[in-house]
Amino acid sequence: MTPEASPRLDSKAPSGPIQDRWDQHRVDLKLVNPANKRKFHVVVVGTGLAGASAAASLAELGYNVSVVCIQDSPRRAHSIAAQGGINAAKNYPNDGDSVYRLFYDTVKGGDFRARESNVYRLAQVSNNIIDQCVAQGVPFAREYGGVLSNRSFGGAQVSRTFYARGQTGQQLLLGAYSALMRQVGLGKVKMYARREMLDVVVVDGVARGIVCRNLTTGEYERFAGDAVALCTGGYSNVFFLSTNAKTCNVTANWRAHKRGAFFANPCFTQIHPTCIPVSGSHQSKLTLMSESLRNDGRVWVPTNAGDPRPASEIPESDRDYYLERRYPSFGNLVPRDVASRAAKERCDAGFGVGGGNAVFLDFRDAIERDGEDTIRRKYGNLFQMYAKITGDNPYRVPMRIFPALHYTMGGLWVDYNLESTIPGLFVLGEANFSDHGANRLGASALMQGLADGYFVLPYTIGGHLAGRSLGAVDTNHAAFDEAENAARERTERLLAVQGRRSAESLHRELGLVMWDNCGMGRSAEGLRGAAEKIRGLRDEFWQNVRVPGESGNLNQALEYAGRVADFMEFAELTVSDALHREESCGGHFREEHQTEEGEAKRDDERFAYAGAWEFEGVGTPATLHKEPLTFEYVHLTQRSYK
Amino acid sequence: MSGHEGGGDGMKITLKVWRQAGPDADGQMETYHLHDVSPDMSFLEMLDILNERLIQTGQEPVAFDHDCREGICGTCSLVIDGQAHGPEAGTTACQLHMRRYANGDTIHVEPFRANAFPVLRDLVVDRSAFDRIQTKGGFVSVHTGSAPDGNAIPIPQLVADQAMDAAACIGCGACVAACPNASAMLFVSAKVSHLGLLPQGKAERDQRVRAMVGQMDEEGFGNCTNHFECMAACPKEISVENIARMNREYLAATFRSRDDA
Amino acid sequence: MLRWLGTALFSSVGRKIVMGLTGLLLVGFLIEHLAGNLTLFQDSDGTAFNEYKEWLESFGPLLKVAEVGLFLLFASHIAIALKLSLENREARKQRYVIRSSRGQATAASLSMLFTGSVVMLFLIKHVGFDFRFNGDFHEAPAAVVKDTLASPVSGFFYVATMGILGFHLAHGFRSAFQSLGLSHPKLDPLLDKAGIGLAVALAVGFASFPIYYLFFWTGGATS
Ligand SMILES: Cc1cc2nc3c(=O)[nH]c(=O)nc-3n(C[C@H](O)[C@H](O)[C@H](O)COP(=O)(O)OP(=O)(O)OC[C@H]3O[C@@H](n4cnc5c(N)ncnc54)[C@H](O)[C@@H]3O)c2cc1C
Ligand code: HEM
Ligand code: HEM
Ligand code: SF4
Ligand code: F3S
Ligand code: FES
Repeated sequence: MTPEASPRLDSKAPSGPIQDRWDQHRVDLKLVNPANKRKFHVVVVGTGLAGASAAASLAELGYNVSVVCIQDSPRRAHSIAAQGGINAAKNYPNDGDSVYRLFYDTVKGGDFRARESNVYRLAQVSNNIIDQCVAQGVPFAREYGGVLSNRSFGGAQVSRTFYARGQTGQQLLLGAYSALMRQVGLGKVKMYARREMLDVVVVDGVARGIVCRNLTTGEYERFAGDAVALCTGGYSNVFFLSTNAKTCNVTANWRAHKRGAFFANPCFTQIHPTCIPVSGSHQSKLTLMSESLRNDGRVWVPTNAGDPRPASEIPESDRDYYLERRYPSFGNLVPRDVASRAAKERCDAGFGVGGGNAVFLDFRDAIERDGEDTIRRKYGNLFQMYAKITGDNPYRVPMRIFPALHYTMGGLWVDYNLESTIPGLFVLGEANFSDHGANRLGASALMQGLADGYFVLPYTIGGHLAGRSLGAVDTNHAAFDEAENAARERTERLLAVQGRRSAESLHRELGLVMWDNCGMGRSAEGLRGAAEKIRGLRDEFWQNVRVPGESGNLNQALEYAGRVADFMEFAELTVSDALHREESCGGHFREEHQTEEGEAKRDDERFAYAGAWEFEGVGTPATLHKEPLTFEYVHLTQRSYK
Repeated sequence: MSGHEGGGDGMKITLKVWRQAGPDADGQMETYHLHDVSPDMSFLEMLDILNERLIQTGQEPVAFDHDCREGICGTCSLVIDGQAHGPEAGTTACQLHMRRYANGDTIHVEPFRANAFPVLRDLVVDRSAFDRIQTKGGFVSVHTGSAPDGNAIPIPQLVADQAMDAAACIGCGACVAACPNASAMLFVSAKVSHLGLLPQGKAERDQRVRAMVGQMDEEGFGNCTNHFECMAACPKEISVENIARMNREYLAATFRSRDDA
Repeated sequence: MLRWLGTALFSSVGRKIVMGLTGLLLVGFLIEHLAGNLTLFQDSDGTAFNEYKEWLESFGPLLKVAEVGLFLLFASHIAIALKLSLENREARKQRYVIRSSRGQATAASLSMLFTGSVVMLFLIKHVGFDFRFNGDFHEAPAAVVKDTLASPVSGFFYVATMGILGFHLAHGFRSAFQSLGLSHPKLDPLLDKAGIGLAVALAVGFASFPIYYLFFWTGGATS
């Protein structure tokens, strides 16, 4: 039984030998005549790796570009926080890497829920990304001889990760930001910071602009263009607590979804196993500790539930190194989803430490073996960060860690051109659903964001601009009036409720419902209950939220309330998606679908497709469209890390 | 105004916070009492609690900028007891934790202050001047697609490390806030150094330093008289050696460049 | 034609470079000046000092050129200092309610305008009234110097201002190197020490004259 393909989802993925597909596609794409490029105007939303790289590259080609972002400067987009590194198939270490291997690892790591053509293209352009970044002045780590240095990262047997200390995302973003600012200086890009996109404007079925709220003055602003590119990041914050920055939201994507862009695989969310656990009800976000710590740290819990002794006094015989026990060959280095679930399993069974919501990550043996200095050299900055946050000294006592929401593989559905189901609306970076399937490998999100922005959209947008006849549309068009009024009306509605609860308290409650039922483990029963609770919370939100102040000035509580309102609607879709997908794959673990040893059990017969949802109204079930996935090159196998 | 009682048995903290309704409004310090501050809270989480109280009691919350809350985005911008980012060295305000304070402490919170960083509201300031400086030369002019292989030009590890030290700047503006002259030299010199040290950035180094300094001056920052307070306040501990390097580059560029501008 | 020079000289960094250069040249002048003045201690009747002055004058027009140069050094140093200081005040109109240093800025670095201004007052008295533009001085240089320094009002004023000059240099010398871009991990700690050493040496050196003539000199007026 293969899933039936929806006629609404034409992936436009080329056929033919996989290594030739992107080349052939580029030949087939229409080109925009150089002189005509300056007649086109593109609106880019977001300045993370995807947005900044896209805007800069489009402007270099000659297009006029307007860019908006929420932060006070484009340089502060959430990409700045990525630590670990970026993958590329350079094979500089000569250890057997290749474009094909990177492609293979990504498809397999994604648990066979990504489109092969896209992933292959991603692997192909990965090398150009490194070259581009080096040329921009990204100070990647180097060997003594002056050549680029690599390290290995989860899910791969080769060393293909490029890094700039623990600040790779920052350095890559600053590179893209510098290219963007150069174009601002040259007048090709107009940059609008502190703006929040509240709607996409669709004219004759084609995306022709956006409506924003100016977060400083509260005014509504209209941006018209011949294409719109959403580069607005992921939605992890629907869980309230995540490793994402506080302003990360689903608003832009959700509003686009409401205008007709299908939302694909929202239940594919990634949980990172090594984060600093929640320390109290005041907690506002979670902090990630790089995955690399698992190279030397050993994960354990006490064998006796609730052991009152301090960690250092618990003898070897009373420790359960459960990853080493369950996965003897990968041990502490199993992939993220597996490590996360194992930690949850122990805590649920009552063996958690530090109040029950954490496990130990212990460096005692590594320090004994290599000495404190070596460990300090490898992880000094991480240990320091841990000490700052927790007040504990990880050289003396084991770290306490727990999994946390980290990344969202789901996003707006896009075809091979990165175009959504609204023509002219392109979606890049974490905001789209494309390349990571049901689980993303470490160091691949940065690669994808930059691939989309530097090397994919600049080509594929030509197909849209040259291939469709786009009439002139300016911001006086009735569709802009309609969109602005809708945005305005919604804002006023938020202010008018004047209830008793802050948006934050409602968001926290929503997050808890999501985490408990749609987090690391999901069951039909839990998900049904969650959907019920979400609807209740949404009603309460609109009856009882209190948004102070007014709309005509800088009002952070108002901005935030608007984002929470969208999470309240979006959460229900996520839960429905998780409920309908009756299999376990990647980050999506349905408790009903596991092997006897408690491992994820995929159902390729019924679920080898991307599930894209069409909006039918708030509270009305969305319609599911299926894009069947075929695997011509990487053969479907069950992952095993035993 | 004051008096937000909270239950619990945490620390009691008195906050004096700068409140200013808008860019043109006058501001003043307002006093708030918090009674249930946990030592595990971050400084910003304490402000969250204050805001939750204010919202509950029908008042406008304190506006303050923040995003990543892990010391990398450079958004948070508080002057705490007279120190940009607060008392801890090499730490942004968002990474500061309340265990640093004692029960009964009074803490003053103000925005970054400089004419070039006008206050928008309460503790939120406009740092777009930094972006404008960046547009003048904080880049390498390389079109997407025109780059040679990443290993085509070897870069000695020491040079890469020095460039990385300078590139670690998060653009927060604490250097300006801390400088007695409200000078932006540390920020600008960090960018000039980062790009000027690398072979990729050398081609444009003369235009870069002159254009960026020109824009810095236009924005109304003060001049550097070598107080070195900026370095002490910088959460990434960027060294004033970069300022010396920029001065050097500027001098060299002045004589090396061949145009009469 | 010289626009590039104007741009550079009016930029913040360019002006600082000029500040540093003029400051260091002034330090050079001070060293020469101190050395010349030490001839006062060579004998008790002032012959050595008078000869030194004659030797200087023997340069004729060259001396004039040097004096004009020296004047320009002071003038540009002072003019730029005033302009920069004014701008720096303007750069933060709304002051902090609470301000606390991180311990890097020093009393010396924070009081450059004040210490500089005191030095300027000193110069007005010193050059305008005491010596250079004092007719009597050129009649009997050494004697006038000794009398001036021995008089309590002038003498104590000299001692005090020399202390303040030392303070100016305690920050100024090190700062000038930074402004000129001369900084290196190996050089900086040396410069820190050299700056303080030089400041103390110059202050003590100059102050030794008034102190000597105030407290230890029994000679009375010589002619
Ligand atoms: C702590 C952490 C560490 C990570 N480490 C790694 C790593 O080592 N390697 C790796 O490959 N990946 C890593 N990731 C993942 C990776 O950083 C992100 O997936 C990626 O940076 C997303 O980039 P983006 O451009 O899609 O979106 P973002 O960088 O999130 O940018 C979103 C942009 O959209 C704007 N925006 C959003 N909504 C609106 C709106 N409504 N109106 C206007 N503008 C809007 C924002 O202002 C922002 O500019 C990490 C993620 C986290 C959280
Ligand atoms: C013999 C006299 C003087 C000497 C040797 C001297 C020396 C110096 C030096 C070496 C500096 C450091 C320059 C730098 O950091 O680049 C300096 C700075 C300064 N000087 Fe003087 N100076 C003298 C007189 C004066 C006078 C008369 C003023 C009058 C107002 C003055 C005001 C200042 C100020 C305000 C600064 C700090 C400005 C800055 O660093 O940008 N100085 N001086
Ligand atoms: C106490 C110590 C000092 C003594 C005894 C002293 C003595 C003199 C004398 C005798 C002259 C006249 C020289 C001439 O006209 O031929 C003179 C000139 C001058 N002195 Fe001093 N001086 C002292 C300190 C200083 C200091 C500290 C400064 C600088 C800050 C200074 C700056 C000058 C200047 C600028 C002139 C004018 C030089 C000229 O026009 O040629 N002096 N000094
Ligand atoms: S130099 Fe330091 S203080 Fe200044 S902006 Fe950069 S990180 Fe912030
Ligand atoms: S504190 Fe200010 S004066 Fe210069 S050295 Fe730093 S910018
Ligand atoms: S909030 Fe990002 S650095 Fe403080």
